Amino acid sequence: MIANILDGIVLGLQFGLLAAGLTLIYGLGGVLNLGYGQIAVTSAMIVALSMDAGVPVVPAVGLGLLAGGLFGLLLDLTILRPVYRLRGEARVLLSLLLTLGVSFIIDGYLNWRYPLKALNLYIGGGAIDILGVPMRRGSLVASAITLVTITGLFIFFRSTSLGRAIRSVIEDESGARLIGIDPKQMLRLILVLSGVLAALVAVTRSMIAPVDTTSGLSITVFALIVTVVGGLGNVVGALLAGIILGIVNVVAADLIGSYISLILLLAAAAVTILIRPAGLLGVKE
Amino acid sequence: MSGRFTGSTGTSLIGGTEAHSSRSLPALLVPIIVVGAVLALVPFWLGDSRVLMGVAVLGLAFVCYVIGFNVIFGGTGQLFLCVGALAGVGGFGATILADNVGLPIVASILIATLAATLMGGLLSYVAVQRSLGVIFTGIVTLIFSLSFDALLLGLSNLTGGDTGRLIKSGTDTFLRERIPPYYLMLGLALAFLLTHGLLRRSHIGWAFRALRDDEVAAELAGVDVARYRVYGALIGAAMLGLAGSTYALTEGRISPTTFGFGHVDVVVMVMLAFGGIGTLFGPIVGAITFTIVDEVLIDFGQLRQVAYGILVIVLFLWMPRGLIPTLDSVWRRVRGLVGARH
Amino acid sequence: MLEVNGLSAGYQGNDVVHDVTLRVDQGEAVMIIGSNGSGKTTLFQTLCGLLSPSSGKVIFEGDDITGLPAERIARLGMRFVSAARHLFPRMTVEEHLLLGAYPHKPDPTTRSTVLDLFPRLAERRRQRAGTMSGGEQQMLAVGRALMSKPRLLVLDEPSTGLAPLLARAAYEALDVLRKQGLTVLVTEQQVPLAMAFSDRGYVLENGFIRLEGTSEQLAANPAVRSAYLGVT
Repeated sequence: MIANILDGIVLGLQFGLLAAGLTLIYGLGGVLNLGYGQIAVTSAMIVALSMDAGVPVVPAVGLGLLAGGLFGLLLDLTILRPVYRLRGEARVLLSLLLTLGVSFIIDGYLNWRYPLKALNLYIGGGAIDILGVPMRRGSLVASAITLVTITGLFIFFRSTSLGRAIRSVIEDESGARLIGIDPKQMLRLILVLSGVLAALVAVTRSMIAPVDTTSGLSITVFALIVTVVGGLGNVVGALLAGIILGIVNVVAADLIGSYISLILLLAAAAVTILIRPAGLLGVKE
Repeated sequence: MSGRFTGSTGTSLIGGTEAHSSRSLPALLVPIIVVGAVLALVPFWLGDSRVLMGVAVLGLAFVCYVIGFNVIFGGTGQLFLCVGALAGVGGFGATILADNVGLPIVASILIATLAATLMGGLLSYVAVQRSLGVIFTGIVTLIFSLSFDALLLGLSNLTGGDTGRLIKSGTDTFLRERIPPYYLMLGLALAFLLTHGLLRRSHIGWAFRALRDDEVAAELAGVDVARYRVYGALIGAAMLGLAGSTYALTEGRISPTTFGFGHVDVVVMVMLAFGGIGTLFGPIVGAITFTIVDEVLIDFGQLRQVAYGILVIVLFLWMPRGLIPTLDSVWRRVRGLVGARH
Repeated sequence: MLEVNGLSAGYQGNDVVHDVTLRVDQGEAVMIIGSNGSGKTTLFQTLCGLLSPSSGKVIFEGDDITGLPAERIARLGMRFVSAARHLFPRMTVEEHLLLGAYPHKPDPTTRSTVLDLFPRLAERRRQRAGTMSGGEQQMLAVGRALMSKPRLLVLDEPSTGLAPLLARAAYEALDVLRKQGLTVLVTEQQVPLAMAFSDRGYVLENGFIRLEGTSEQLAANPAVRSAYLGVT
């Protein structure tokens, strides 16, 4: 059981970081990015391809992160321009449809061009004992990186003026504008950041299990589930929901079976929407 | 263009700008008969190929799916991202009832259709009870879709898991021959078309239009928005279930990809968006166009998905109301220019 | 300092404010008074950049700022405190003050000045804005605006939602700021308060400027007296 919980936390941290990116985009821009998983997968592919071309691991990962960020920027500059002219539900709907289109394009292209490619960053070395459970080094490194990133995010949002500025746009967009903060600029920044986060999660995930060109949809779906349960726009909620659902996923998969555990996760999201649409930590409007 | 997405319920994506409720019955029947006649000739054009015939039958199945989705989304504005799943309830339900439980085929189809209908109604009921907006309705129905997918994979004894299973029932009947399934599905498609057409002319159709245009005004005018939304879902889901179960039994085999989200829902949305959400003949135009396009491009494999992605973007940016309403506006403008001196 | 010429603005093609011309000179306290629905808030929204004008010009310190968005205008030395206040509910008083100076580092002197002016804020430095009372929120909104050391402060109905005692206290604070050299423009429905505070004023009615003059002139005007001062 402890092994399951630890594995669940490892998975959960990744869920959480993944969802954090998606939820920030929604909280700041009122936009749902359904191409999120594809950004992650594309970045992973770029890392894999670079390594094939002889680039050492660390710079290759750097390239992947850079690619993720650029992707986010590209989305902001192109597809999302028409979305920004709308408000409210219409904006969410159009962003949903257009990013869905983008995800088809990328999914189709990647699967056509690199059908069997996968990124697998295997970290060698023996298992390390945590609480009496032998954990693979890959899991531990991935979790450490994720934790450091999460900590970094917290520090950024709480203690830097840019982080505060971004939070202020989420809190009250007009209020932020009245003190000279440009919401469009902040959104662009967040899109770049979320792209980097997606890439980072893909890279750390590949330390535990291979990430291939078909993973895109499931990454997006998991990110969406965790985001909804944690509360759209709420980063702490996303992290919390991530860890809880990660543990649920692993424990259920072990006890009942992997398909049923997926249904459980989906049901958790459905129940959240039905009972408390604001999510775990969301603020009731 | 920005006006198209300004509805508070997100439903002004929908066209339906044509005047129709005052037209007489022949005006509805004639186009349907024409369409039916043209489509009835298709088997003669396709020659002897069993494969091409199979594509044509699938195309008609999609016509049915798109009409069903059109009734739900185009009619009442509920974004049901579970078209494939509801058709799958019909398909897998009928398969299990006929093969495993041993019921006669017709009974199996009817019960499976009923199950799909109830499921659709339930989803709609829950959505209106909790006042879920378009987005959350979409997410909840998507969750149902994904859960159904996972369930199919999990219950591999019954469903054949990843690889699917064969359907023994109906093996030596006309259902498995080359041509009859086409006319069976054509019959269904025309029946659905007629049903939708009559629906639009009925008081139910009027209620649908009212609640799409302005939900609050509709309530004030006495339209029980919740009830009519559920009606729409029930009718649409029934169509989906019936089409799914009939199609499965004509195919003889069934697998998760037959009714999977990526294979059905995505395609249905593109077809309807192209043809015209809320229009009567949009589903036909969209489904036939894309069945042909898909078949022509079959050698491009996964690259087709790239094309669909580009299409989704282009469609929702420039022709959000779909082909028919856009052509209709263009035609009106041309007529306006020409007939300016009356 | 601020010149508005022939400004018209409204929503969805319908103008609410018509051909407004006014000016605010350095060091003045100017008021725009009018009843409900006269267009004060629309005028405010247009001046601060949340709404685009349909015609006219706005010039600040010699530069044409017509049609600039709010986030650009806020960087020019003007700050706006709207009636809705637009605070950040989950952020603390301290964070508001830090943000007020964005993107510059907050000046400690300015900060102490603000906290001296509003001691209640000093007591509640770590409190979240969403949990504060109306009066405290008003103080915070003004304090936040002051952190950027604006040369012109524009307030939309500062007395909104405040008990009379608090509304007077708000104007007393504005008076202190005036004496320190701040130029102030207020729109106000509660005319006596604004009149006591301002040097000059404009009367806005149905979106048109009907009268202008010094406070004394307006106070003596019989139309103003009957409409706004309750004198028959």
